[in-house]
Amino acid sequence: MFYIHQTSCISPQQTFAAVEIDRLHDAVNNKLQVIEPSYEGIPSGVLRRMGKAIRIGVGTALPLIRSTDKSIDGIIIGTANGGMEDCIKFLNQIIDYDEGLLTPTNFVQSTTNAVAAQIGLLSANKAYNTTHVHRGLAFENALLDVMMLLKEHEMANYLVGGVDEISAYNYNIEFLDGWYKKEPIAAKNLYASNTVASMAGEGAAMFFVNNDKKNATAKLTGIHILHTDDERMMADQLQLFLDKYLPAGEKIDLLLSGENGDNRLPGFYNTCEAVLNKQVAVARFKHMMGEYPTASAAALWLACYIFSGQLVPEHMMKYNSPLSLSFYNRILIYNTYKGQQHSFILVERA
Amino acid sequence: MKKTGRSKFISLSRIFVTGMGSISAIGSSVTENRMALLQGKCGIGSLELFPTKYASLLPFGEIKITNTFLQEKLQAYQPGLTRTTLLALHAFEEAITDAQLPPEHLKSFDTALINASTVGGMCLTDELYNDANKTENGSAYLSSYDCASVNMYLQKRYAIKGIINTINTACSSSANAILYGARLIKNGLAERAIVGGVDSLAKFTINGFNSLHILSPDKCAPFDEQRKGLNLGEAAAFLVLEKEEAVAGKKVYAELTGYCNTNDAFHASSLSEEGEGPYLSMKGALETAGILPAAISFINAHGTGTENNDLAESRAMLRLFENVPAFASTKSNTGHTLGAAGAIEAVYSILNLVHQEVYAALNFKQPIEATRLQPIQSYTKMPLKHVMSNSFGFGGNCASLIFSI
Amino acid sequence: METVQLKQQLKKQIVEFLNLINVKPEDIKDDEPLFGAGLGLDSIDSIELIVLLSREYGISIQDPKEGRKVLVDINTMADYIEKNRTK
Repeated sequence: MFYIHQTSCISPQQTFAAVEIDRLHDAVNNKLQVIEPSYEGIPSGVLRRMGKAIRIGVGTALPLIRSTDKSIDGIIIGTANGGMEDCIKFLNQIIDYDEGLLTPTNFVQSTTNAVAAQIGLLSANKAYNTTHVHRGLAFENALLDVMMLLKEHEMANYLVGGVDEISAYNYNIEFLDGWYKKEPIAAKNLYASNTVASMAGEGAAMFFVNNDKKNATAKLTGIHILHTDDERMMADQLQLFLDKYLPAGEKIDLLLSGENGDNRLPGFYNTCEAVLNKQVAVARFKHMMGEYPTASAAALWLACYIFSGQLVPEHMMKYNSPLSLSFYNRILIYNTYKGQQHSFILVERA
Repeated sequence: MKKTGRSKFISLSRIFVTGMGSISAIGSSVTENRMALLQGKCGIGSLELFPTKYASLLPFGEIKITNTFLQEKLQAYQPGLTRTTLLALHAFEEAITDAQLPPEHLKSFDTALINASTVGGMCLTDELYNDANKTENGSAYLSSYDCASVNMYLQKRYAIKGIINTINTACSSSANAILYGARLIKNGLAERAIVGGVDSLAKFTINGFNSLHILSPDKCAPFDEQRKGLNLGEAAAFLVLEKEEAVAGKKVYAELTGYCNTNDAFHASSLSEEGEGPYLSMKGALETAGILPAAISFINAHGTGTENNDLAESRAMLRLFENVPAFASTKSNTGHTLGAAGAIEAVYSILNLVHQEVYAALNFKQPIEATRLQPIQSYTKMPLKHVMSNSFGFGGNCASLIFSI
Repeated sequence: METVQLKQQLKKQIVEFLNLINVKPEDIKDDEPLFGAGLGLDSIDSIELIVLLSREYGISIQDPKEGRKVLVDINTMADYIEKNRTK
């Protein structure tokens, strides 16, 4: 359990600087690509080398670090693919030049730890620095890591985040593997499409966290990760999670669901809603953010945004609150990545 | 160091190593690795199995075992299994057998699996190039390229239900996997953790390091004045970590007493001259272990053989230790195994402790002028109580571990 | 090719190859130091420029340290290219 203070997000929607998410920016060629800011805080000599994942990772992290005079005692990033665009560029060089004389920048920038490393470098931070890369649970492991850190170091402050980019590499490969839709689709029609696969997305979301309740935006009460393709096991684990973290008699107000328009996966999301006894409001986020391994970071950003007093945009709502709530205190984020990895994140108003 | 407060209960769980498994250019089991180290065997030479333009031009620490052999031995025939996964499976099986983990423990919700890799399935450079550029008929490896693919396979094969994670912090990856697993146990999120790392040779890393001009044309000579760079190697190693309350009646190798992760924050691909990151991680590991620098009996150094690392690491050791303890790098035996380095060198550090011995640093002739430090140059039996293992990587990611008996 | 033209071409190539955002080729002075102060390039850039010399001008420099003696400013680079180019 820990508290989230400042947050930052670069995504396919207007989530950075002047946030405005009532208007839904649509996908282009089935890709929800980020709206990039001008990156004023990154020196051009450094920016020139950065691929998109590093740009958006650093671009969300640095403003947070600069917004506080508190020292950052660690930087913990979750990213499944890191700088994959740079990876494929280097790969192309290997093939095109037949392992001849190659330029190193693409290689150095492609390593998955480059985001956390660059953030550390640019903020001259010599403290704990790590990168979790476990696919659809990369961000969740980063949250578990920081949760442990805050038990181990009660007075510390940390930067934790998730980032992934759409690159030629992972888009094509995921497309060939059947995870991105073949037919053209508009974002607003994602959930109504009765076809396999989802829509590619990308984004970076960063959080400044500590044990201090004062002025916090949200409290991350509990998190659980799971590997299974069995809906029953998922349901059992969810029930155990709720039993553990929900005070007696209390309920979830809003389910922020990772439903993604893939008609192979609704079983999991329906099961989740059933465990919650269909008493909750349900909102969805992948029509805004797209599907990518660390999309749950964008979901957590949305939860914090909602707790900061904002209304949930209409286009996100699947079911309105049966109790006619528009003000939510307790949000459960449930996401599954490819029906194999699952996470439950319970976040509450601080 | 800033006081960040400390929770009392965290320090109570002691973490012990109850099983180990490893495969490298010097052996396909922990015993074989130890025999080779004892005898000063070098596993670095020309490539015989891996196809690259550099096969006869540069030395590598190649495991002279084919994928076909591994598949048969491990009964692992599923399409899409990469060499990285096969090597990991081999070391994983040795470790869990060594720890005598019963099946119900393996499948229990409180068993964590933490792996590390920098290459993942990208050892298949040509397949990756094709899949990334084609529009139809993808290969069998479409879901095998990322670093997580190794653990996803192990999870399915062994029905592991606890916390599973993959870490990539370049050369310090598996040291971080070990300390993450230990912390999961200490924080009550796991009862036991199977932790380790793996990397296989890949055109991606061979060409990447070569483009930075840090591959040596000769066998590497860590800490030598004339060192010319590193040799890449491949390896896998796993350790089983359990807490004190669970090890009664079990064979226990050593205790993980100290660990620390810091960042050098100087440059994306080189360490600061004064070795700030290495200095801080070594110092931090001593603090978590609650011991003074003078208590360290031996250091398994990162010692890659590059101009930059060995000088920075030497400077850091000189800053921290009034008398630098005996030290050596095993990379002159195995090559630099990247994602596996932290884990396999942890195994070697534990072997030092169990057998009260240290192994000769190979290819060392003269010390670095600026530091005059000399590694151990012959096999030596000596009293050892605390051994430190260091791993420093790209992005300034530094990690130090301390094992004790 | 005239030296003046070569220097112009070289400046354009350097800006493109190193992705120097916010730098126009014509703004680079012929005697402005490439490394440290001046253009502010670093060790990775020196390796990249060696690759540039190889790909564009067929010049092979084996040791990055030797390369730094050539890569002082546009003048020294152009001079070296004129004497050693094979393309």
